[in-house]
Amino acid sequence: MAELVYAAGIPHAPTLVGLFSRAPAEVQKVVRDSCDALVQELDAARPDVLIVFANDHLTNSRISAYPDFLIGMAAEHSGPHEWFKPWIGCRDYSAKGDTAVAEALFRGMTKRGIRMNAERKNLNFDDNISVPTVLMDLDKRPVRVVPVLQNTTVPPYPDQRRCYAVGQALAELIRDDLPAGLRVGLIGSGGLSHEPGGSRYYFIDEEFDRWFLDLCCSGDHRRLLDELTIDRMEAAGSGGTSELLAWVVVMGAIGERPGRSFGYAIHKEFRCGIGAVSWSVNGHVAGRG
Amino acid sequence: MGLFDNFDPTLAAHDLVQDLKWDPELRQQFEKDEGSVLDRYALRPAERQAIEQRDFRKLYDLGFHPYLGGQLARLIYGNDVDGAIRAVNKLVSSLTGKS
Repeated sequence: MAELVYAAGIPHAPTLVGLFSRAPAEVQKVVRDSCDALVQELDAARPDVLIVFANDHLTNSRISAYPDFLIGMAAEHSGPHEWFKPWIGCRDYSAKGDTAVAEALFRGMTKRGIRMNAERKNLNFDDNISVPTVLMDLDKRPVRVVPVLQNTTVPPYPDQRRCYAVGQALAELIRDDLPAGLRVGLIGSGGLSHEPGGSRYYFIDEEFDRWFLDLCCSGDHRRLLDELTIDRMEAAGSGGTSELLAWVVVMGAIGERPGRSFGYAIHKEFRCGIGAVSWSVNGHVAGRG
Repeated sequence: MGLFDNFDPTLAAHDLVQDLKWDPELRQQFEKDEGSVLDRYALRPAERQAIEQRDFRKLYDLGFHPYLGGQLARLIYGNDVDGAIRAVNKLVSSLTGKS
């Protein structure tokens, strides 16, 4: 019986790295405070492995064969992908992977009727994994990473209820399939509101973002599932805001529990609302509320 | 109307953008001789014309995925931190009819 020891939802806007130095001081402070708090909690939780759910920005697969979930099974995860590097403006990294946990995830999800794809080679990482990795120095910490790249933008894609059910299956899998004593952390990477590629590229829906962060902190998952619909996310930024479905997977895994927000920042040039949440799960037995 | 109302997963332009991201040599060729790269793909006439004219509005109306639209704009206008700003502005101008 493995143990859930860490859970967080974090944004991965590339501008958090590339345009960070040009942002106003108060915006930089929210980003710094959020990262510092998340890292402190991570270090205190001491996970052996972090399973990171993050949307794929059409970086690994063609639209004609697009997986809903793609597990990275490599022994190391290196990035960013060559084409995305100048855009993100981040350093190279190579984070330790965990092939055994990735295989258990693939096997266990298949057994539970959830279609996931898996790849043994290094995946192409854009901002999805790269930004959290460099902001939290995941590659320099004693933790292994299993990335799960998620379809949140190529229709049709799994909605909030399906993603929550995936999270519930993940909790069961952690409890029943992973080795006793293994300390597991979960990260949902994406959001907040933004519309990449749309006519509202600079639009940030502050009202939605603050509502979403409050909802995550409330622990009211019935309301989350009733109200965080694809239509609502599309209205808050088409094609981008739905990245928050990665957070929904995490919330499905940890069950209803209050979270902690580290503030909210809105900065037009970031082209994305910024905020993060962590949930206290230390000692929580996965899948038992 | 939503960005995905016309989404057409069969457009060959989707593969064009994917290949340009994944293949640095193809990118170089695209910069030097765009037409020869476009020739490789089964683009519909209107699809090809929209790319050649940098008409993202038309491309989206044909069913192009907007996320790949943002990436195509970066392939054309610049892909570093500042190039991306230029690309975003060009894309938004085209989509809003202000180009």
